[in-house]
Amino acid sequence: MLKYIAKRIILMIPVLILMTLIVFAIFYFAPGDPVSRIAGPNVTQEVYESIQRKYGLDQPFIVQYHRFIRSVAEGDLGISILQHRPVIEMIKERLPVTLQIGLLGFVITFVIAVPAGVIAAVKKNTAFDYLCMSGTLLGIAIPTFWLGMLLLYVFAYKLRWFPISGDGSLRQLILPGFAIGLTNAAITARMVRSSMLDVLKQDYVRTARSKGLYEKAVVYRHALKNALIPIITLMGLRLGWILGGSVALEIIFSIPGLGRLMVDSILSRDFPVVQGAMMVLTSSIILANVLADILYAVVDPRIKYG
Amino acid sequence: MSMYQSRDVEVKVDGIWLEREAARERKEEKERAFLGFFRKLFKHKGAVIGAVIIFIFVFMAVLAPWLSPYSYDSPDISSVLQAPSLNHVFGTDEFGRDIFSRIVHGSRISLEVAFIAVGFSLVIGTVLGAIAGYYGGVVDYVISSITDIAWSFPTTLLAIAFIAAMGSGLQNVIIAIALASWAGYCRVVRGQFLSLKQREFIEAARILGMSDARIIFRHILPNALTPVVVMATLELPKAIVIEASLSFLGLGAQPPQPSWGVILDSGKGLLGQAPWVSFFPGLMIMLVVLGFNLFGDALRDVLDPNS
Repeated sequence: MLKYIAKRIILMIPVLILMTLIVFAIFYFAPGDPVSRIAGPNVTQEVYESIQRKYGLDQPFIVQYHRFIRSVAEGDLGISILQHRPVIEMIKERLPVTLQIGLLGFVITFVIAVPAGVIAAVKKNTAFDYLCMSGTLLGIAIPTFWLGMLLLYVFAYKLRWFPISGDGSLRQLILPGFAIGLTNAAITARMVRSSMLDVLKQDYVRTARSKGLYEKAVVYRHALKNALIPIITLMGLRLGWILGGSVALEIIFSIPGLGRLMVDSILSRDFPVVQGAMMVLTSSIILANVLADILYAVVDPRIKYG
Repeated sequence: MSMYQSRDVEVKVDGIWLEREAARERKEEKERAFLGFFRKLFKHKGAVIGAVIIFIFVFMAVLAPWLSPYSYDSPDISSVLQAPSLNHVFGTDEFGRDIFSRIVHGSRISLEVAFIAVGFSLVIGTVLGAIAGYYGGVVDYVISSITDIAWSFPTTLLAIAFIAAMGSGLQNVIIAIALASWAGYCRVVRGQFLSLKQREFIEAARILGMSDARIIFRHILPNALTPVVVMATLELPKAIVIEASLSFLGLGAQPPQPSWGVILDSGKGLLGQAPWVSFFPGLMIMLVVLGFNLFGDALRDVLDPNS
């Protein structure tokens, strides 16, 4: 078991390195002169060269990448061009809100998707099942950010239950959390249902039934636990989707999260901030996937570790 | 399918069948399979609903100039922010432009971007997957490793990163989507090639001395395409949503281009006074995504009964 976990973590390292390479390369090959991006278009030759030296911009790609990855390893993501502050500080300020939205989204996903999926599976081909599955079709098709706008319109503009724009309170995270949770619940409920149907066909479920257990005990004590195992992997994979979707939601709800920071920085061409934010987001996604894999192995004794 | 490939080879090997007869038989068989496929598809409720929705949107995109009652980009001060009415079925925006006309023209952007981007990623993924699966060894290892990483990279974020560096605009949106979503095809095609290259008809083709390119493109690829087609159908709606979200964020199409994302962006600030500006484009995105999803799922059911 420990061997498997160690192997999984070691295997993550080349992925992380390649990911940093991709992110670095995207911005390295961006059109435009990196020096004038920092110093502005009209500078003397001396200033130009001193900046070039200071940031190592006269070095070849591989040297610059080496320098970049070394400072990233030390927790230094560079300095913002616009705000002249360390990027890591700016990200630290913004990250918690984004994570809170994501976390709330996950909680709402589970609260809706697990019961819906289980009941749909147990009552397969009934009206409830059809209703649930049609609902998930709509939920998968609805763009998350548009659902966010609908929720904002109904619950903030019309019913006035929530603030219209960000006031820094936790309450303003509820609607974007629901936007993520509801759309994510659709795909998760389908997965729970099909996984549950699979499990209910298994021999051990038949055994549990034949020894005279109540149907409820069979479903909730024996089947559900096993049916939820594949959902762990799905959740790991969905984190990237959730963080990507959170970008537009933060704009709609005027929430100062990481996604908003990223878009603002893209529009003002503050590359170090974009690069840093991208680094943090992608590495947390890779990390989450590895954690999901490990968790999967821990809870499912059938998986061979090797 | 595969039977006929091997028969084709046998024809050349010892002439048991007359070439002409084999060709006729093959044609009949193909026609029969084709008809059977359509019969099944027609019986599938999801396929029919999905196809109808897709047809309506394609129709809308092709005939946009004739279907839209007003110009999509010239402002009209006399009819600013009007609620939906008989004159303007979807209402008007802050410049008095007819939302319906803008949405109709926007369908062109959505579908164009989606089809081109998915086409590109399909070609990239299929070629890489074919090479990896056919040659194996070091080539396979390198391609598969890159694919795994591209696969674990979230599409939207990768697209945003690309646009951040290369600048906004629809052309970059297309490239970004293509670069962010080829990995799926690569994985599927590689898997197909791994199993198909072991089959007898490929063995036979190799013994006959056919070139690798000919074996890959004429004999294996046609047999490996089914899951790719299904996948592409399900990737189209994703591309539509990514284009809309990027344009919404100001990173894709730029105003006054009538992309659905751009209209949604302009509706964002008007939510209190003119909710129709953001309601209808979002509804259109949802419908077109629903159409492609229904059709794609049905296609998978019909073409691949095992999955």
